[in-house]
Amino acid sequence: MSELFPAVWKQITSSPRHLKCYEQAVAALDTDTCAFLELRTDLGVSLAEPAVKEYGSLSGIPFAVKDNIAVKGFQFSCGSQILAGLRSPYTATAVERLLHAGAVPIGKTNLDEFGMGSSNQNSACKPTVNPWDLSRVPGGSSGGSAAAVSAGYVPFALGSDTGGSVRQPAAFCGIFGFKPTYGTVSRYGLAAYASSLETIGFMTAQAEQLIPIFEAASGADGRDQTSLDCSDTTDLTEGIQTVAVLAGDLGLDAPVLRGYSKAIEAFRSLGWNIVEVKLPSLDYAVPSYYTIASAEASANLARYTGVRYGSRSREEHDHQHMVRRTRDEGFGKEVKLRILLGTYVLREGFQDQYYVQAQKIRTLIRNEFSKLFTKAGVLLLPTFPIQAFPIGDGGLTSMQQKLADRFTLPANLAGLPAVSFPTGIESGLPVGMQLMGPAMSDRSLIRLTAHVSRCFPEVALPRRFSPGEVTHG
Amino acid sequence: MVEIFIGLEIHIQLMTRSKVFCSCEMISGEEPNTRICPVCMGYPGVLPAVNEQALFLSYLMGSALNCTLAQKTWFDRKNYFYPDMTKNYQISQFSSPVGRGGWMDYLEKGELKRVHIHDIHLEEDAGKMVHQGNFSLLDYNRAGSSLLEIVTEPELTSPEAAEVFLQSFRSLVRCLRACDGNMETGSLRCDANVSVNSLGMGLGTKVEIKNLNSSRFVRKALEYEVRRQSRLMQAGKPVIQETRLWNEQSGKTESMRTKEEAKDYRYFPEPDIPPFVPSEAFLNRVTSSLTELPAARELRYIREYGLTEETAHYLAEERERAEYFEELISSGTEVAAAAAWIKGELAKLQGRYAFSLSDGTLPPQAVTTVVRMTGTEELTVQQAKQVLELMVQRGIVQPEEVIAQEGFKKAEDDGELKEIISKIVAEHLNAAEQIRDGNMKAVGYLMGMVMKETRQSADPRTARRLLLEEIGCKQEE
Repeated sequence: MSELFPAVWKQITSSPRHLKCYEQAVAALDTDTCAFLELRTDLGVSLAEPAVKEYGSLSGIPFAVKDNIAVKGFQFSCGSQILAGLRSPYTATAVERLLHAGAVPIGKTNLDEFGMGSSNQNSACKPTVNPWDLSRVPGGSSGGSAAAVSAGYVPFALGSDTGGSVRQPAAFCGIFGFKPTYGTVSRYGLAAYASSLETIGFMTAQAEQLIPIFEAASGADGRDQTSLDCSDTTDLTEGIQTVAVLAGDLGLDAPVLRGYSKAIEAFRSLGWNIVEVKLPSLDYAVPSYYTIASAEASANLARYTGVRYGSRSREEHDHQHMVRRTRDEGFGKEVKLRILLGTYVLREGFQDQYYVQAQKIRTLIRNEFSKLFTKAGVLLLPTFPIQAFPIGDGGLTSMQQKLADRFTLPANLAGLPAVSFPTGIESGLPVGMQLMGPAMSDRSLIRLTAHVSRCFPEVALPRRFSPGEVTHG
Repeated sequence: MVEIFIGLEIHIQLMTRSKVFCSCEMISGEEPNTRICPVCMGYPGVLPAVNEQALFLSYLMGSALNCTLAQKTWFDRKNYFYPDMTKNYQISQFSSPVGRGGWMDYLEKGELKRVHIHDIHLEEDAGKMVHQGNFSLLDYNRAGSSLLEIVTEPELTSPEAAEVFLQSFRSLVRCLRACDGNMETGSLRCDANVSVNSLGMGLGTKVEIKNLNSSRFVRKALEYEVRRQSRLMQAGKPVIQETRLWNEQSGKTESMRTKEEAKDYRYFPEPDIPPFVPSEAFLNRVTSSLTELPAARELRYIREYGLTEETAHYLAEERERAEYFEELISSGTEVAAAAAWIKGELAKLQGRYAFSLSDGTLPPQAVTTVVRMTGTEELTVQQAKQVLELMVQRGIVQPEEVIAQEGFKKAEDDGELKEIISKIVAEHLNAAEQIRDGNMKAVGYLMGMVMKETRQSADPRTARRLLLEEIGCKQEE
């Protein structure tokens, strides 16, 4: 496993002097990209366990953590003003397990507030930009983590994927983004946005690197009763190798369509059968997803009132007033929109019309995928209909962004594993495609992704940070 | 004529070691905010992990209350903002409670009554607010404690019945060791709803009363509320559907919020906890943990043992007392004697030395031995009581040991006793004179002297007879 990550990383994390240089170098570079909200190698090293740091499967490998995942002592802002000043009193299970494998968390990365957005422009902090083109978004909501891996600051990063938040920024930044089967990675320590949809996910520059990371971080956890072991030993490359692809006009931008065709071609060149499928319920994925996600968010974000932690409004005549002012001042527009939407769909007397209906669609989508995976081993589909879009008014409106989530949401609604992988550079920007597999096929899906990726040229940022500079400098 | 409909919503804190969704210990009376963790404080990212013992006690209660137990049960989020609720939603049960449609039998003045249970559901408790002048302090030690809510149908027909039912319910939860039943500390809390209507007209407009911290307050608040609603009816005024608070100082209920202000809790299934499906082994464990309930016991004591309602109630009310009573009988004590000793001497000793009947301080076999010795006149009743007290004092569980230590033995014969008595009477002629004049108070005085002189070994009945003979007074009957 060790050759998966350059040995220089371990050299850096085991020397205080190198570590200091490393932190300074990344901090300097990151003034342009703004991937990190907090960079604290000293804190990360203090959490690391000396014994496993030497011998663990990820010994000495530094990693970045999206700032909606708890790491003791680090900030825990979720990209929101309302949690300004909060330091986490505990560590998420997934991070704890990576620490057990010897990995070293070095900082917290930027995100759309509470994971709500696909551009990183909804962060209360300065938005992260795409390392490939600083005038474009890195995607979201795990945009900070994607930019950090893409720019080479860290060999891997944790993100969270509620509706595509790991896969879409991975596609925008030319890296691999893996969303595991729902439950295989404990959610304990992931600040909840939409509990039934989301999972912690992983971002790397190489597909193979995902295997030891998933191996270390996954598994049933007593603190998350929805978690379970990924015990399945599915081999997607066994038997008749059939990949399903979506039929019809998918509304893709030309470069993305080119990427999709190349990916199909790659499978064909590897000897796979291609079957075209139609998934009719996918048309309802977006409304179903936003109904469920907003409903859950309206309850999940109710705890942020400034009473026990985080920022509190200075205006505090009484409890109700204080809570109202705190939430008004502390939450951004998109978060308020989703809380209102969620509160609306859960009102007494309206649940059948919205929430219950959305859950029924969710069941239909699940059933559609179960059927699909009896005919094909995997589904190949685009990650996002367009490439990284420009920051500001030239980009997508909030509504357009939601509609564009149509290819990533189904994996969350059905709880299935999915990987976004780069298929090359089109018109100067990375393009990402997505592979979805049946539940619990996670390991095999990663291996298949690695296999297929060999058909494509390596996508690496030209001016990437090289850890070698630190040890030789 | 009016009809009264009363229903109760009872909350009991389950006797689980840790809170319902985290591993914080459940103890009351600790320093504020010392029994808390990121989970019960609602920090970002934490998740609830349901305590299986809480589910077990919930199913046990459901079973004891004859409910239909859920084959699959799950939690729902009840959304509302309140500072003592750390997540601003309460994890509760709405669409699939642990139990539905049961009943509880209880005895009111010896008569068996039945109240139907609408449902029982498991939820988490909130923290406590301590109001100080114009600000409030928050103590979250209680936040996340396991709480079971029991909702009765509105079938209680008087405030007294509600009080008796609640006391009986308290006895039941203590018997099952599901809750300590303490209303002062809030382990058992009760809200009441009441409506009044003309006879035969069915339910009236319901008013809910909160803040009832004892079963007496439940009765008093309901009495006040029944009077208030009846007066409104007589005056032809409508009763407003609302929630009222009992104010103990003023002895009145006060309006808290009306139905128009009632909240929409926006219940939806808790996504963080998978549904619970009790296994066969789990349900078997529930069944085998059931025990005879206090009301059934009480009725049996009356019917089988011929005990009075009052005695039967006293014995059956507490499980350890009832079990002790039954052990006394099975080890050979007569029913009446067992009841009398428990109510009398043992209760007195328990009060004086603060021990429990089940802790082995006075094993039932030992008490049976002592009681038997009074029957065979090996010990006088007075000596028997002394033996028991000395056993407690000295931590001795064998009565024979204490008897040997004290040299207690039956008085040899009446001759010796007669001698002592004539000596005492000769020394207290004045008292003897008064007795002959009909002042029986002096008998007690002289008897005391006799007992002291014989070191309690005299049989009091014999001594008294001989004393009166000596004085020349007829034995009164």
